[in-house]
Amino acid sequence: MTNLANLQLTESGELRHFLTPEGLDRLMLERILDTADSFVVVGNQEVKKVPLLRGRTVVNLFFENSTRTRSTFELAAKRLSADVLTLDIKTSATSKGESLLDTLQNLRAMHSDMFVVRHGDSGAAHFIASQVTPDVAIINAGDGRHAHPTQAMLDMLTIRRHKGQFEPLSVAIVGDILHSRVARDQIHALKTLGCSDIRLVGPNTLMPRAIESMGVTTHNNMDSGIAGVDVVIMLRLQTERMESAFLPSAGEYFRLYGLTTERLVQAKPDAIVMHPGPINRGIEIESAVADGPQSMILNQVGYGIALRMAVMSMAMSGQMQQRQAQAQANNPPSLIRKPRS
Amino acid sequence: MSIIIRGARLIDPITQLDQVTDVHIKGHCIETIGDLTGINAATEIDAKGMILCPSFVDLHTCLRDLNQVQKGTIASETQAAASAGFTHLCPSPDTQPCSDAGSVISMIKSKVAAAGFCNLLPVAALTKDLKGTQLSNMESLSRAGCIGFSNAGYDISDNTVLLRCYEYAATFGLKVFVQAQDHQLGRGQMHAGPTATRMGLDGIPVIAETLSISRHLQFMQHTGVSGHFNQLTSAAGVALIRQAKAQGMNITADVGIAHLCFTDTAIEGYSSQYHVQPPLREESDRKALLAGIKDGTLDAICSAHQPHESAAKCAPFAATASGMATYDMLVPLIQGLVDSGDLTWTLAIQALSSNSTTIALRKTTMLTVGEDANLTLIDPSHLWTLNASSQLSHGTNQALNHQNLKARVRLTIKSGRISYSM
Repeated sequence: MTNLANLQLTESGELRHFLTPEGLDRLMLERILDTADSFVVVGNQEVKKVPLLRGRTVVNLFFENSTRTRSTFELAAKRLSADVLTLDIKTSATSKGESLLDTLQNLRAMHSDMFVVRHGDSGAAHFIASQVTPDVAIINAGDGRHAHPTQAMLDMLTIRRHKGQFEPLSVAIVGDILHSRVARDQIHALKTLGCSDIRLVGPNTLMPRAIESMGVTTHNNMDSGIAGVDVVIMLRLQTERMESAFLPSAGEYFRLYGLTTERLVQAKPDAIVMHPGPINRGIEIESAVADGPQSMILNQVGYGIALRMAVMSMAMSGQMQQRQAQAQANNPPSLIRKPRS
Repeated sequence: MSIIIRGARLIDPITQLDQVTDVHIKGHCIETIGDLTGINAATEIDAKGMILCPSFVDLHTCLRDLNQVQKGTIASETQAAASAGFTHLCPSPDTQPCSDAGSVISMIKSKVAAAGFCNLLPVAALTKDLKGTQLSNMESLSRAGCIGFSNAGYDISDNTVLLRCYEYAATFGLKVFVQAQDHQLGRGQMHAGPTATRMGLDGIPVIAETLSISRHLQFMQHTGVSGHFNQLTSAAGVALIRQAKAQGMNITADVGIAHLCFTDTAIEGYSSQYHVQPPLREESDRKALLAGIKDGTLDAICSAHQPHESAAKCAPFAATASGMATYDMLVPLIQGLVDSGDLTWTLAIQALSSNSTTIALRKTTMLTVGEDANLTLIDPSHLWTLNASSQLSHGTNQALNHQNLKARVRLTIKSGRISYSM
């Protein structure tokens, strides 16, 4: 999808929006991971701030509820020394009938430099980046079922820090693939980073149509699906899936697809267990596994701040370069010197 | 009024006419066909290299107006229809207010007549306010000029009500038009396939169409109603129609021009201009639709014209309105299919004119002497650019906006009078 790459990159190939890993090449994804690695150290320092976004305004626009993602984005922006405005959209103008378009144009007029956007509609961040505010850096914090690129990339960071290279790895993603924006971006990122054995595990009701076209294999049986894998990524199962007839009951789901200590034996002995959170203990994962030695769940949260600092700083830098290039194109320096009087 | 069109290629699939010659139109009729050297008329058109054929009849369109003037007016959209070669239009009953009463039909009719570009052959609502609970006054609406009855894109979930609709239509020999898409399975935004999966959009599976076709076929078979299916989208849907026709059922079907030309991959990058209902499907479906036109399984091509204002398409994909304004692009799109070898002009004219006239008017119109002069003159080699100044529809949802196009209607004649000329 060249159009997605074009939209996310400056003319010189720098990141200016981060909407999805789809369309970005391996080098760019590795640069994001390398930059995030350098920020992991910042979180361990006594003074946890760097001045990269000083004087810049970051607006968190969360059209959907979120606690974890919103707070890590806020923290990441503050550690980069940005001025941060977090808008509760439910009490803002959009609930008074103002369109998304008008809300964003107003915020743009306030000279915002970056929007961190979570929205319930797939393609919302793409729409904003392409149609509404091309000169404001857009970071997608989750759009519908489409993408959640910072979550997917923090998962890649977790895998790389604990497993090294992606090529030899087998990765199983288990659960509600259908509704998961994280799973789609994990697949794009894993494929681009070289992982060739990506398995999706779940019942057909939670498996998107023609998902094999993304270069993955599908498995209805949990035991064979996670057999010999290096990484098990469990997805959150929302309880309303039972009410809308995707599944008969939480009990049957846990029996068939819940990750238990007993079942984890099917994976490699040193396999790591991940979960984007928040976890449902006893529905998709057993507490003993979630809190066990193979669990990376809390590490993921810590890496999340570093990863978000990385993409925010990279996209802001790319956006500034783009603005300067455009300013120069609009006002080229004069070659004729005025004579001194 | 006297018009002579000289040197056009005359195509009439019914009479199997395909000849380069002249046509003289006098009053509202075709006066002469043949060499008219030495004969003059008030209006003379040099039509060398152009195609002259019976005018088009649109079996499915939305004219907006009444309460949706921001999207288009009857004047603007009927003029756009005339510029696409249409003289007769069968608008869908999902107008605001709904086309379920004689007063609404007569209001639309009078506006169309006042505009003067096209004749109206309205399709009225099958149930009151399209709610699927009470029958509309079908017999009275038929007397008011409605040629058929449809519940548009709205569901009649109660099979008892649907059976009554068919039984009542059968009583008076009325035609039922069907937009075949199961309501529950049709709640998505695009075709359920690899593109929808990757883009995270809710998919509409092919079974949404086939389930609905099968359901309506059973009612048609049970009651003997003559049915017409609007806007087929899938290979499986075409196969069901082919099978039903082979069994001798009295049914017809059409396909929208967008479904003949575009597929779901056009939505890559969340392009809302390709957000249509029923959805664009895969290339194999598009090929099956073309094959359906070629072997006669699909009788007609309709515009499925749905103009929108720009704000309706300027939002995240799921929040945008579905529909495409097609009148300004229709003839260039057909020309594209002819150039790619997917269609011939003779087949296209049969689908846009001969068959659709038979379905809507229950009679044929021919390019023969003495017939009403309802004619379309197409310049298949005319190059032009679609943009705000060249388009006639008020709809800004033109999928090919700013693109260079080939072929354009040069003249549309309605009952001997020029309704559009370029």
